[in-house]
Formats: sequence, C-alpha cells, structure tokens
Amino acid sequence: MASSSSSPVPPTLTSAYAAPPPTTISTASTSIVFTFPTYTSFPPFYTLQPNLTTRARQLTLWSNLLTTYCAHHRLFKLSLSSLPSNLFANPSIHRSLSQPDIRTVLAHLALPANGGRVEWIPTSSRAEKPNSCWVYWRTPTEWADAIYGWVDETGQKGAVLTEYEIREGEAVQSQEWRGMDEDLLRKVLGLLVKRGKAQIFGQEETAGVKFF
Amino acid sequence: MASNRRGVGMSAFSNSAISADQYARHGQTLRSNHAEALANQLSVFQAALHNFSLTHAKDIRQNPQFRAEFARMCHAIGVDPLAGSNVKGSAGASGKTGSVWAKMLGSSVNDFYFELAVRVVEVCRETRAENGGMIAVSEMRKRIEKGRGIIGGGIDVTDDDIERALESLVPLGGGFKIVPLGSSRFIRSVPKELNLDQSTVLEVMQILGHVTVSMLQANLGWERARAIAVIDDLVADSLVWVDSQADETEYWSPAAMHDG
Repeated sequence: MASSSSSPVPPTLTSAYAAPPPTTISTASTSIVFTFPTYTSFPPFYTLQPNLTTRARQLTLWSNLLTTYCAHHRLFKLSLSSLPSNLFANPSIHRSLSQPDIRTVLAHLALPANGGRVEWIPTSSRAEKPNSCWVYWRTPTEWADAIYGWVDETGQKGAVLTEYEIREGEAVQSQEWRGMDEDLLRKVLGLLVKRGKAQIFGQEETAGVKFF
Repeated sequence: MASNRRGVGMSAFSNSAISADQYARHGQTLRSNHAEALANQLSVFQAALHNFSLTHAKDIRQNPQFRAEFARMCHAIGVDPLAGSNVKGSAGASGKTGSVWAKMLGSSVNDFYFELAVRVVEVCRETRAENGGMIAVSEMRKRIEKGRGIIGGGIDVTDDDIERALESLVPLGGGFKIVPLGSSRFIRSVPKELNLDQSTVLEVMQILGHVTVSMLQANLGWERARAIAVIDDLVADSLVWVDSQADETEYWSPAAMHDG
C-alpha cells in the first residue's frame, strides 16, 4: 500500500584509495529503494491535525520521515521552490502537505526543543522569509566528529586538505558526508576550528584545512 | 428353641440399637477414611501440578496454545494461576490459597503474564498521543511481537495472553479495560468512558477505516448536529485523525496507520 519511488541514483566513483571502514557512522546506501513507512499512506498524515496532542505525534512522524528520507537520498538541503515530489506528498493517495503547512512543519522541526533537525538558511534580505533549510540527518557536531575521526584514522593529521577533497575526493567516496554542500562543510569545519582541532588557510576556492 | 435372629421384641430393639451404633461408627470411619484419602489425593495433585509447571515451564512460556490450555485447566478446577502474583512470597495478603497456588505453579507462569502486562502498559503509554488511549488488541499484539526482550523476542504472544495479562492488572486499579467495538476488541487505557454515540461511531469506523458526517447521517439516521457533536468529541479526545483533503472531511481511526 505504501508507495515507494526511487529518485535517480548518482553514479558512484570507484575509489583508487581504499578508505578505512568508518567506525562510528555506517555509510548510507543509495542503491536500495527508499521504503516509505506505512503512515505515509495514511491520508490524515497530510492534514495538520487540529488536536494538539495528535499534532505533536504527527510532527514527530514528520521529523522521522524527513531525516530518514534525506539521509537515504543524501539531501543536505531542502529548497521550498523545488522540493522532491514524493517527500511531502503521496501521489498514489492524492494527498500532499500544503506549502504553508510544509513551512509550519519545518519551522517546528527547527526548534531545538524538537530536535533541531532543520535549520533555516537566512536570505540575503532580512525581510524575506527563508526559502531553504538544512536538514540535519546528522547534526553539524556529528559531522564534525565523523570528519575528524576519518582524518585521524587515515593518519592525515598535520596534512593540508582542500575543502573539495574533503567533500568530493576519491578518498571519501565511501564516507557519509561525500557530496556535502560547500556551505555546510564550512559550517562543520568552523566547529572543528572552534574546538582547536582544525585551521583554515586561504580563501573560498583555494581554502585548505589542516587538522590537529 | 428361641432364635436370637428374630427381630421382634426387646432383643430386637437392642439389636437395632447396636447396629445403628455400628453403622454410625462405620460411617464415621468411612468419612475419615475418605477425608484422609482426599487429603492424600490433593497433596499428590498439588505436587504433580507443581512438577508439571516446572517441567513444562519452557512450554508454558513459548507455546501459546499450551499456555491457553494450561490456564483453562486451572480455571476449570477453580484455580487462578495469577492469584497472589502481585504479592509474591506473602502468606496472608491475598489469602493463603492464592500464594500457595502461585508457589505451586512456579514463577514462570506469573513472570510471563506480569512481564506481558508491563509491556502492554508501556505500549499504551507510548501510543496514547496517537490513538487517544484506544488500541486494538491485535495491534497491541503486533507491536509487542516486534519488540525486543523476553516478551516479543521470538516468543509467540496471543490476543488471549494479552487479555489475561490485563486481567491481572485489575487489582492494581489503573483503569485498563477491554472494550468490544464491532468485531474487534480494544484496550482502553484512559479513564474517560465512551458514551454510546461515540462507541457507535468508532465501531462504524472500523469498517472502512474512516467516516464522514454524511455517512453517519445516512447509515445511522442521525441529524447532522448530532453527528458533528460526536465527531468533535472524538477529535478532542485524540481518538481520530482528520483528513481535510477529501471531498468531504474524513475522520480516520489511527488503527491502520502502521499496519504493515
């Protein structure tokens, strides 16, 4: 009864450098079709519930769906103007969360009290409502730990890596953060800098990172 | 020659007096023999039942049909296998009979139902926000079977087990009640009782999984205001979910939300 559709899977690059198996986080596989939980075929799921107790439960389910969907499809960011067609909607039952309701759900999930799994990305103009958000199926802290852990295990402390290498290099093809958004990586590296575990040299395009 | 067999005359009376006495004493002997035999039989039976439950503890735990038969047998001979299960070790609190049986039957029967009852209470609490405190016994069973731990970890749990486990909670109060709705049986874990109209709507909801106000009017012959009032109650008690994207607003039972 649950509709399951797969988004096109990006081709994976074969790695010449065999990265050691990650110790804390297992790699998400994009070759398996995402299994939508049964409640995505429950029509009321797409109506914001008037009863607040029920709504609280509904929002918890939305949080679960959002994080598992984005983790599976390796989506780090959602843009309200180009959302995946089957995340906030189930075409087979002709139900979808309305745009205002999508915003409400995301705003709710952005609250730290509700897990802080979503963070709005500020627009250039303060007056505008944000139109995109990060989805933290791993929190920035968890990403920082993962990346630092990988650097440590591969004996790359002291070496200088480019941000591109960390995001897209052959060495990270089996890592969960591969293909991460530039801005998000910068945010994550910022955490490591604050912890005294990393230092960033140079500007945007040619920035290099050294880990301690 | 006088025969002393003749049952008439003065001697007859003394004969019958003697036999009556003899009969009485004989009756007494018989009774005490009976009582002794009965006591012996009972203690043999008690020992046998105890051994049986120990030997078959594993089966009682793992085989639901066996367990149900065992429970039925206990009930048939007037024994409640769970009596005294909430006052383990105490000699007098629930009556001597209770704790004696609990000891005889071995702890595994008690433990199984007690653990199950605890799990049922947990699941009710976890799902209350979703279903307003009404959960089908069958859904409870499915959730428990999926769980980890001794209960659910590969051990077959039946609807019968769940209802028995709930019965054992009765002396603790706490307001868990089995509510039949149509052909299904539900566990109600909130104190508020459903009135007749509310139960009727929930019953009707089991058929298609949802109702609309028009459906209630058409099928139950209710006036619109009445149907709306009942629906509003059910929504307020978080017993139903609302779908406003249908042609007419639909009200859904959460029972099917997680059905595999």
